[in-house]
Amino acid sequence: MLLKLSFSSLYARLVTVGMTILAISVSLMLYMSVEKLRTSAYTSFTDTISQTDLIVGARASSVQLLLYSVFRIGNATNNITWESYLDLVSKEEVDWTVPISLGDSHKGFRVMGTNKEFFSRYKYRGSQSVSIDKGYLFEDLYDVVLGAGVAEKLGYKIGTSLVVSHGLQSFSDHDDQPFRVSGILKKTGTPVDNTVIVSLAAIEAIHVDWSTGAKIPGQLTPIDEIREMDLTPKNITAALVGVKSKLTIFQLQRWINEYPEEAMTAILPGAALQELWRVVGVIENLLLGISVVVIFTTLVGMAAIMFSSLSERRREMAIWRAMGASPFTVIGLLMLEAIFISILSITFSVVLLFCVLNLLQPWIDYNYGILVNIEMLAIKDMYVFAVFIIASITVSLLPAIRAYWFSINDGMTIKL
Amino acid sequence: MKKNIYYSLLISAMVSVSAAEETRQVDKHEHGVGELNIAIEGNAIDFEFFIPGADIVGFEYEAKTESDIALVNAALEKFENFDNIFSLSESSNCNLVNSEIGINQDDDHDDHDDHDEHDEHDDHDNHDDHDEHDDHDEHDDHDEHDEEAHNEFVAHYSFNCGNIKEIDRISFPYFTTFPNSGELEVQFVSEIGSTSFEVEGDEPFIDLKGKI
Repeated sequence: MLLKLSFSSLYARLVTVGMTILAISVSLMLYMSVEKLRTSAYTSFTDTISQTDLIVGARASSVQLLLYSVFRIGNATNNITWESYLDLVSKEEVDWTVPISLGDSHKGFRVMGTNKEFFSRYKYRGSQSVSIDKGYLFEDLYDVVLGAGVAEKLGYKIGTSLVVSHGLQSFSDHDDQPFRVSGILKKTGTPVDNTVIVSLAAIEAIHVDWSTGAKIPGQLTPIDEIREMDLTPKNITAALVGVKSKLTIFQLQRWINEYPEEAMTAILPGAALQELWRVVGVIENLLLGISVVVIFTTLVGMAAIMFSSLSERRREMAIWRAMGASPFTVIGLLMLEAIFISILSITFSVVLLFCVLNLLQPWIDYNYGILVNIEMLAIKDMYVFAVFIIASITVSLLPAIRAYWFSINDGMTIKL
Repeated sequence: MKKNIYYSLLISAMVSVSAAEETRQVDKHEHGVGELNIAIEGNAIDFEFFIPGADIVGFEYEAKTESDIALVNAALEKFENFDNIFSLSESSNCNLVNSEIGINQDDDHDDHDDHDEHDEHDDHDNHDDHDEHDDHDEHDDHDEHDEEAHNEFVAHYSFNCGNIKEIDRISFPYFTTFPNSGELEVQFVSEIGSTSFEVEGDEPFIDLKGKI
């Protein structure tokens, strides 16, 4: 009876109540999407590289090295020489290494030179490895393997020919040595999707006629001649390293960090990622803080709307009293109203959240490479909802008490 | 011909200079920040501490006076008993297999395995330009520098554990044992992967649930 009464009362004020519900749901949705984004970003980042024990590059901060070598964000400070790499390979602690060479691009996608071992050694999401979807890995010097995202966005197929640009933002192309797409990888949800992969020798080959960042004018070595050349790289950008025993990781890391011939840095990918997250965590907390404040503001807004509606509803309350409702029933009715509003808002915000996530997911994935996992609500969300309902009841107590006073003072006759 | 010899001398001098430049590296050193590496494989867990002297005894020069030497020895003694430094959950049943405690003076950090390479460097000196190399004397003032050098406490502990997965938390009495200590930067690796922690005295533990 009380429920029905409260519900019809709300229904009678559809527009104001509707707006309140909208405001609350949007703020709740904001909170939940921030929470979803941050958990998704974290798992997406941590799942990007696994089973690689060390990443070695030129002397840099660990976060920087991690970002450019794994996430293709930012640039290397320096390269490391092939000699140092060979020194590293010959260390007895080392089980395997995969050299990678970065620096060129194709239509905004980074080009990475590596060897075939990359495809078997690079692991993500625990122990998943990169596998070929169509075609084959590079066999010829000018074969190129595309990440799923590159092929999809540029509409490339097996056999498409493409030209690598020098540098990341440049107008000079290596157009004298076109490549041919030999393989397309399956989607991984990692930065590999947005990478154009060639062999290390190919990186060396396209730079044969280049010197210190510019093409040597008039010099054009014929491709047949290049094929005959020794295309062992002179330097690489970074190397992924696996060790035989985890117990020797730190010993090897120290050896690399103190390597006297060249300034190098070795990082543990997970440790560097955690370091990065301690920085990002501050911003995360800020965002969370802001959304909590937004929720609080809307709660106060709800109370304000209830307050202002009270004077309009003195007549309604007088009728309730005339029908035999006690002043406590009036309090109860208002609190029920608040509960109704919050439950409706929660439901609506969840619907809104899934709509927004579904709409934005491809865009976030495309632009930031973060796969937002749209799954059912976690238990944690339920707690948040419970806290929210309790908070809205508490907030509604103030107008409810005021209504109680009104109904005691006014009785059945209203002196407006 | 004679000119050629001069040129080659000049070039070799240049080479040796650049070689010297390449090897001119200094370890980072930060007061108040100790490093700890933890590695787990199978039933074995290894701890490596590198703690700046300031965090332990309050100074970083080589201890020469009796009182300083006493301080350093007392500190080393504390390191001998790992219970003063960290504690593992009892249910993990870990037994100390090996430990090495010591002090690194200056930057002879890499005193173990790198000796061979130093020998290689010596070859450089055998080149013809002995005169240029007379700046060895300059190297001697390193000794003076040692007065302001940074010493570092180094401690290795290896354990064998009956039930290694029971280690869900490692706490660090280290912070109370050495009141001068600042934070500990921890790198951790197990078969599951690696991670890092920053540990400070107000929360002197790391949580390893699901990481071993």
